[in-house]
Amino acid sequence: MDEYAIGVLTNIGLFSFVALSAWLLLVAGELSFGQQAFFGVGAYAAGIGTAMLGWPLPLAALAAMALGAAAAALVGLPTLRLRGLYFTMATLAAAEMLRILFELFHWQIALGDERIGPDGTQGFRGIRWMLERGIEPLDFLAMVWILLIGVMVIFLRVENSRLGATLRALGHDPELARSAGIDVDRLKLGVVAAGGALAALGGALFAHHNTYIEPRNFDIMLGVHSLAYGLIGGLGTAFGPLLGVVLDIGVLEATRSLQGYRMIVFGGLVAVLLVFRPRGLLDERVVHWIRSRA
Amino acid sequence: MIDFLQNTLDGLALGSSYALLALGFTLIFGVLRRANLAYGPAIMLGCYCATWAYLKTGIGLLFLALIAVAGSTLAGVYVERLCFAPHRKGAAAAAMVASFALWMQFEELATLALPRHLYAFPALYAGGPLSLGRLTLRVESLVMLVAAILVCAALWRILYRSRFGTAVRAVIDSPAAAELSGISVSAVSLQVFALASAIGGLAGFLIVSGNEQVTPMLGMWSTLKGMLAMMLGGLGSLPGAIAGGVALGLREAHSQWYLGPQLRDFIAYLLLFVLLAVRPPWMNTRSAY
Repeated sequence: MDEYAIGVLTNIGLFSFVALSAWLLLVAGELSFGQQAFFGVGAYAAGIGTAMLGWPLPLAALAAMALGAAAAALVGLPTLRLRGLYFTMATLAAAEMLRILFELFHWQIALGDERIGPDGTQGFRGIRWMLERGIEPLDFLAMVWILLIGVMVIFLRVENSRLGATLRALGHDPELARSAGIDVDRLKLGVVAAGGALAALGGALFAHHNTYIEPRNFDIMLGVHSLAYGLIGGLGTAFGPLLGVVLDIGVLEATRSLQGYRMIVFGGLVAVLLVFRPRGLLDERVVHWIRSRA
Repeated sequence: MIDFLQNTLDGLALGSSYALLALGFTLIFGVLRRANLAYGPAIMLGCYCATWAYLKTGIGLLFLALIAVAGSTLAGVYVERLCFAPHRKGAAAAAMVASFALWMQFEELATLALPRHLYAFPALYAGGPLSLGRLTLRVESLVMLVAAILVCAALWRILYRSRFGTAVRAVIDSPAAAELSGISVSAVSLQVFALASAIGGLAGFLIVSGNEQVTPMLGMWSTLKGMLAMMLGGLGSLPGAIAGGVALGLREAHSQWYLGPQLRDFIAYLLLFVLLAVRPPWMNTRSAY
């Protein structure tokens, strides 16, 4: 495989994590504009772990996930009872606060003859754990996709379990779910924390793929894109957000002949697609049809 | 003290531009119960049309204002037909994401037409600022203030003194009941979208001619500020939108002076987050879509 294809496939994998985290909340009935912040928390935490504290990547990634879950729970707790646009705006406000904190975050240590660490708006460069360990792009690609497949297996198992049905009940009508004896607040908090951890894992990998991160990577554009991936791909199955990422990054890269008109074509296609399929390509009905055939 | 007064004056001027943006946003939200993410980008596209016309022909300000308003209105109508008309029943998420897709479209259109990151826009007023004792006030700010007041008055007349306004308020109260009493909800939505985008276009024109420059960032900026001001003033209330806009402007001017731009934005979001979490009585958190 050439370097270009590896890069595209790696990016598809990386952004699938944050798309899955936005999709998870979408299935639970909430629109989050804030998943990019937890992606950022993961990127910064893992970068600090490997580049500044000398931790191995797996440990740094685990710490990043814990921190992402904690940050998401912290945002989730005061907003549990908010619905609809109010919840969406609260997640956006929290995410923008975190992005500004990244801009104000200065912590550098001297390593050899250079200073390494987050430097406010100048970003955080030198996250070179992969290069120092001699890990090739192809190995990294395999790592990303193995992790993603692991996450997908968990998602698909949950899908067919009692928990999956409970989640969909919550997404369908929280009042009804509450009256059916579901502990809505606890479930929602769990969903939010799991989404935060998942986005943070993606962020940790992103930081090590790019070796350089800056606060601008984690602005609202990434958040709305992640949400759009889930909705384009479909709410019926966890393959939905993956399909969304493949369509966006894949189609964008494949149609470089359309350079300059790409977003005009793609934006219009998405809007028209949603007219006919408001719950995405792989919505519940399609998934049910496929299952009944299999 | 003089600093405080000067900041308050600056904040009022800034706040009146936010109030105009929030008015348009709130009109759309009130009628459709949907957030239109492409609201700001439609305004940006209108302003880009005006900039393009200015660069090609060098026509006067009045024509530029008309082009900005017309461009924004057309873009707004396009957004309504493609993103909101098909999703009137349910599918709030789809409407929002579709409007985001059109945002991307508008941004690319604008950068295709005018590829540089920044373009100069003719100034609204060439002279220096007015001085009131030791205070100064830019003429542009004064125009913005007056425009905001005029638009509010006109809007009040339209909404409370015309047949169309009665229909709009009926749809805001209850779309189903309005439909039953013979009002075409589809037509009202389209007209409200056009009206809101025209107000946004006017606000956009005043903002870019006040700043004497235009960038593609205007789109995201207008959506965010309009949405923030709308949320601060409660949701879907027109007097609330004005109050929210002015409050946002005042708070920004003061915190910018004392704390700098990054903390200024941080406090804006913190305030919004706390308000949402605490839910004071004027924010009816049950009624969002």
